[in-house]
Formats: sequence, C-alpha cells, structure tokens
Amino acid sequence: MREVAGDPAALEQLRAQRSRLADRMRPPWWYPAGIAIVWVLTFAAPFSSRYLPQGVRTWPILLAVLVVACLLHWGLARATGIVVNAGSLRYPSGRPAGIAIIVVGAAAIGTEFFLIRRGLPEAAIVVAALGVVAEVACQQAQLRGIRQDLRGGGGAA
Amino acid sequence: MTAKPDPLIHPITRLSICGLLAAGADWVEFAALRDAAGISDSVLSKQSRVLEDAGYVEVRKGAVGRRPRTWFRLTAAGRQAVQGHLAWLAQLEEAVSTGTRDAQQATPLPGDRDQPRRVLPPLLGSS
Repeated sequence: MREVAGDPAALEQLRAQRSRLADRMRPPWWYPAGIAIVWVLTFAAPFSSRYLPQGVRTWPILLAVLVVACLLHWGLARATGIVVNAGSLRYPSGRPAGIAIIVVGAAAIGTEFFLIRRGLPEAAIVVAALGVVAEVACQQAQLRGIRQDLRGGGGAA
Repeated sequence: MTAKPDPLIHPITRLSICGLLAAGADWVEFAALRDAAGISDSVLSKQSRVLEDAGYVEVRKGAVGRRPRTWFRLTAAGRQAVQGHLAWLAQLEEAVSTGTRDAQQATPLPGDRDQPRRVLPPLLGSS
C-alpha cells in the first residue's frame, strides 16, 4: 500500500472505499417490516381517536410509534455499523423520497379523518393500507438515495 | 472552502479514514470503517488516535452486551480539513488529466525535438 496520498489515484481509491461503505448501508429484512409497523400504528391514530372509548387517547399509539422508530434506528445502526439521520432531508439524493414520506403521511391521515367523519371507515382502511405501502416504498427509495450520496460523498453536512 | 493540502491527512490511511467519515454518515462503527478502508484493526486504532489527538475525529466508545463498540465521526475542524484536502486532490487530478490529454493530442512527429517541451509543462504544473 502506498504511504502517501500525493497522487490523484488516491481519489480513485477513496471512491472505491466509499462504495464499499455505501454497500454496507443495506437494511436487514426486518427493517421494512418495522417501518410498515410504524406506519400502521400512525395511520391507526385517526381510527383510535374516533372509535376507541373516550378514556383511551391517541397519545399511547404515538408513543408506540416513537419507540418502534427509535428501535429501528438503533437496530439499523447496529446491523450496518453506520448511523445516518434518515429523518432529515440532508441527503440530496434521498430528499425527494423524504419529502414524499411527509406528503404521503399527511395526505393519508387527512383523508382518513375526512372519510371517517363521512362514515366511510372501509374506505379509510383502504387509504391507510395504500399509505403504508407507499410509505415503505418511499423509505426504501430514501435509503437508496442515502446510499448513493454515501458513495459519491454528497451527504457531507 | 480553500483547496489546500493537509499534512496530517496526507498519508493514505488517514486520507481513507477521513474521506470515509466525510462521506455523509453521522457515525461509523470501527468494523465498518476498517472493512471499507481495507486496513487492519491495529492500523485503524493507531491512525484514529492520531486524528483524535489532532482534534479531527471524535471517538465514542460503548458496548453491546459484552462486545465493545467504537464509533467515529469527524469534528467540524476535521471536516473542513478533509474537504480542503480533497479539493486539492481533485485539482491535482484535473491538472494531471488535462496534462495527459494534452500529451495525447500532441502526437509526436518523427524528428520533433520540441515535443517534450510542449508536453511536460502541464504535467509538471509549470507555465
């Protein structure tokens, strides 16, 4: 191995090393499943606020969402050896998917509330199911974008 | 950001460590960094200590069960130094590729005694 990085070939070597690091950033099988659970719980909030007894509030569900999300973040860091803030929009290639996650989430919850008020819980369930599928797909796309940025060094803060 | 070489990051192993930490991850674990850089445990330990002492790298030690885990990340000073060094290397790469292109375009003619003088200056970085 060369001792000094005085030649531009060092950049080529660094690109290969970054590519190896980015390849490690592949989530295990349970990660998309965990993400799906997070969104199932999130999209269950409009139902719980409407159909559960008055004493049962939405906040336990949101607390469960937070706990599962934290566990997923910790588990992904432990499995890959890389900590990335997937919740932020810092990574340019992952940004469109990150924005899509926010938009889809807000739209699905808004539509659910609307349909439940109109007395159409079945339609609201369909919207929630579609929302979960879309959110998992967006999350996967965001991770792909983060991997791409790690590969190119574009995710530097 | 100014493109300038940093003598501390100049050795290839330290450039690898810093370049990987500057890729965009918040923290990178010891084994991930070691595998991506293609270096041994002892080399990573030694070089990361140098970088930590210089204030370029922050080290966090913990444990998962009985297994110790070490995490690394760049400090603000380290990030600035790495970006400057990488920009300098990119300029060097650009200069060399331009020189190579010029050298390829300057097809030597039989008996062209001025050819080395036309080709070498861009490669050497002199005017």
